[in-house]
This record gives sequence, structure tokens and C-alpha cells, in this order.
Amino acid sequence: MAKKEFSFNQAVNEIGKILREIESGEMDVDRLSAEVKRASELIRQCQKKLKTTEEEINAIFKDLS
Amino acid sequence: MDERLSLTELQLIIKDSLYMALPDMYWVIAEIAEIKVNYSGHCYLELIEKQNDNVSISARIRGVIWSNRYRFVKPFFENSTGESLREGLKILFKAKIEYHEIYGLSLVINDIDPAFTMGEMAIRRQQIMKRLEQEGVLTMNRDLDFPTVPQRIAVISSANAAGYNDFITHLRENSYGYVFYTALFDTPMQGADTQAGVLRSLDRIALNTDNFDIVVIIRGGGSQADLSWFDNYDIAFYITQFPVPVLTGIGHEKDLSVTDMVAWQALKTPTAVADFLIECMVRAEDQLHETGRAIIDMSSAIVEQNKNLVESSRLKLIPLAKMSVSEFRNELSDIIINMINTGKEYLLKARLIPENQRSRLVSGSVSCLSVNKNSVQSVKKDFSSGYEVFLGIKRNEIAGYESILKVLDPENVVKRGYTITSLKGRIIKSVNELSKDDVIDTRFRDGSVSSKIV
Repeated sequence: MAKKEFSFNQAVNEIGKILREIESGEMDVDRLSAEVKRASELIRQCQKKLKTTEEEINAIFKDLS
Repeated sequence: MDERLSLTELQLIIKDSLYMALPDMYWVIAEIAEIKVNYSGHCYLELIEKQNDNVSISARIRGVIWSNRYRFVKPFFENSTGESLREGLKILFKAKIEYHEIYGLSLVINDIDPAFTMGEMAIRRQQIMKRLEQEGVLTMNRDLDFPTVPQRIAVISSANAAGYNDFITHLRENSYGYVFYTALFDTPMQGADTQAGVLRSLDRIALNTDNFDIVVIIRGGGSQADLSWFDNYDIAFYITQFPVPVLTGIGHEKDLSVTDMVAWQALKTPTAVADFLIECMVRAEDQLHETGRAIIDMSSAIVEQNKNLVESSRLKLIPLAKMSVSEFRNELSDIIINMINTGKEYLLKARLIPENQRSRLVSGSVSCLSVNKNSVQSVKKDFSSGYEVFLGIKRNEIAGYESILKVLDPENVVKRGYTITSLKGRIIKSVNELSKDDVIDTRFRDGSVSSKIV
């Protein structure tokens, strides 16, 4: 598994962090657009992880059982 | 002694004496060592009593339940206890002593009391639970954090069990399109091999815990599913020590086995386990959407605030700039008037002085005037270019805000696949704002639908 692994939990934490920063008013407008973009990208990746089969994992699971 | 008996006569004497001495039915406690049902439906048992060491046998006798009784006794026992009549089970039965000239002594069983067996099982279960509690391990699996996305699943089950297939089908056909990865660790889920089999599978999973989010132990239900194979100290202990949450769907309606009780979560059937996992995924995705929506809402508010700020600055800026321009213009005209006056003065003075000097003076004052005119022009140029740059910067700032606004515009949000739900024109952000029979409007990219809450 040389491919860099996407972690759902890490992504969720990062999205949460962005939200908290915006909520607390610490987010300045210059960064806002970029951070919102980042959050929506992370959400997209999370959804992809929930719904798209990864051949690599499938192969590992075949080996294990 | 002269009188001789035939073997049959002797057997009859034994039989008569036995019937005379033991005429009644007796309630007897014994363990089933062997049980067989023959083609005509009669049930033959080997009944034993073990000594305290649970190994040596202190008593043994054959027993039989005739088919006309067995037809009633068996389903009643199994429905009450959830256990089938099988080897290793302790039972309390009502029996009559029977002596046969050929087959010898046996007990004819008339009835079995399920309450006794249930009590025995409950006591055994309690003993195991108490031991696990004393060892301080009882809740260790339950105390683990459950993964947000239980997607990689180690399955302990039997490959050809109906329950296993139900589980896999149910996961695969979930209506949300979630992907699950399962690895089956084929294990006997019934009979004397259960303990060794389950432990072996757990061992193999333990070598690969990084690859698994959870372990599920499942098998099909039905009266054949004896729970007591999972009332097992070794299996339960291993589960408490397992680093990954264990879910069970052992398929028992009535009772929980010890294995169920130490598991992170016990569910009644394999299908229920699958539903539980799908629900976890739904929760994770909902959470994701909710956070995303909150980010959009909060950012829209911030952008709105800044837009107002920019707008009010712009409104202040214009008259201010106009004012400073007109001030500068006044200053300039003052300077020009001054210069003209000075020039005129020189010229007037020049009239009074000799001709030769006059021409020098005139040309001097003309050049003086043109120098001044140039410097005024350059100041004017500097000012207006500076002013242009300043306005340009402000214009760019405003354009930046506008592009952020565009990203967050509900129109564009909807285009990206989100929907906006509203009730009587008010946007709904929480299920708590809704109640039964409300008619909500859901706005999609290409139109709206109305739906009613049930």
C-alpha cells in the first residue's frame, strides 16, 4: 500500500477544524475562499471513500480470507 | 439347591422384583452423553452423571423416549430453552424403570423439564460472567472506540451458513451505495469444534488488526442454533482482549450468550448486524453533510458582512475623493492666479525701466511662467495617477469578495448537488424544525418538489 492513504477520520477532523475556525471568527476573508474550497474537496473525498470500491483493499481482503 | 431356573425365568423374577420395588415414575437429573433418533422416531439416549472433576463418570444408564412422546417433548423443550436436546446438556426428566429380558435395564422417559436446563445454563453463564468481571476484563471490548466508518469487516462464520449469505447480500445491496470490504474466516459455528474454531479465527484476525475496522461473529438462526456453544469462557475472554470492536449476530431470539454480553454490540441476526453497519455509515455521511452545510452558512454570513463593509466604505470614499480633488483644484487655481498676478506686476515694473532691460525681463517672466506651468502639470499628473492606483486596488478587493460570494451563492451550491429544504419559505437546517404532516419543499438544481413528513 505505497499509495498515500486517505483517512476518513483525519479528513473529518480537518473539516471540523475549518468549521470551528470560521465559527470562532478567526478566519480572515482572504483565506475564507480557499478554506471553503478545501473543505468541499475533503467532503467529496470522504464520500468517494464511502461509495467507491478500492481494488487494492479488495485484493488484500481476498488474500486474508 | 436343586431347583434350577431358565434364564428367562430368572429375568422375569428380576423384572417382577424391580417393578414391585420401583413402581412409580421418578424425576431424575442426568447429563446426555449420547442421543440418537432412529428411523421410526424413537429417541435413544445414553445418560450419565459426572463426578465433581467433570470427567470421571459415576453413573450411567440407557434411556429411551418413544416416538409418540418424543414428538411433543422435543419441540416443547426446544421452544422453551432455545436449545436442542444434545450431548453435554444436563436435563431433568420423568422416567419409569423398564427391564427387558434381552436388552436389560433402561429408563423410559415420559417428560423433560425445560426450566431445569434453562436454570443450569443461566447458572453457567453467570459463573463465566462473574469470573470475567473478577478478572476486570468484562467491558474491555465494549470500552473500545467504535470506528466512524466500519467499512473493513472480518467475518467469523461458516461459509455455507444461510446467515452468512444474508449478511453479505444485505451489505452489498444497501440502498445508499456504500462499499464494504469483507473477509470471511470460515469457522464451525455449532458443535464441539466451535470453541477451537472461533479461537483459531480470532488468532488469524489478530495478526491483521490494522486491516480491519471491526469483527463480526454471525450464524443463521433457527432452533438448531444452540446458544450454549457461545457460553464459553475462552471465546468470551479472547473477545474482551481483542483490540478491534466485535459485533455478534448469533441468531438467538430469547437469550444472550456470554459471547454476546462481552461483545461491543450484540444483535439478534446477521441481517441486523448488516443494518447496524449501514446505519453507522449513514450517520458518518450525514455528519459530513451537516458540517459542510454549516461551513457554507457561516462563510456566507462572513462574506455578507464584508460585502456590507466594502459597500459602505465605497459610499464614503466617493464623496471624499471628490472633495479632495476639488480642494486641489482650488489650490491650483490660487497658484495660477498668483503667478499671473506676479507676472503682471513684473511687466508693469518693466514699463518703468529702460527698453534694453525690459525685453530681458519679459522673456524672464515668460520662462518663469512656463516652468511653473510644467511643475503644476506634473503635480496634477502624479495626483491623478496615484488616485487611479488607489481606486484600482479597491476595485480588485471588491472583485475578490464577489468571487467568494459566487462560490457560496445558494444557486451554485444547489448546482453542486446539494439540495435546500424549506418549510413555508423558511430554510430548514435541522430535523427538529420539522414535525409530522409538514409539507417541505426540496429545491434541486433543476426544479423543486414538495413532500410530506410521515
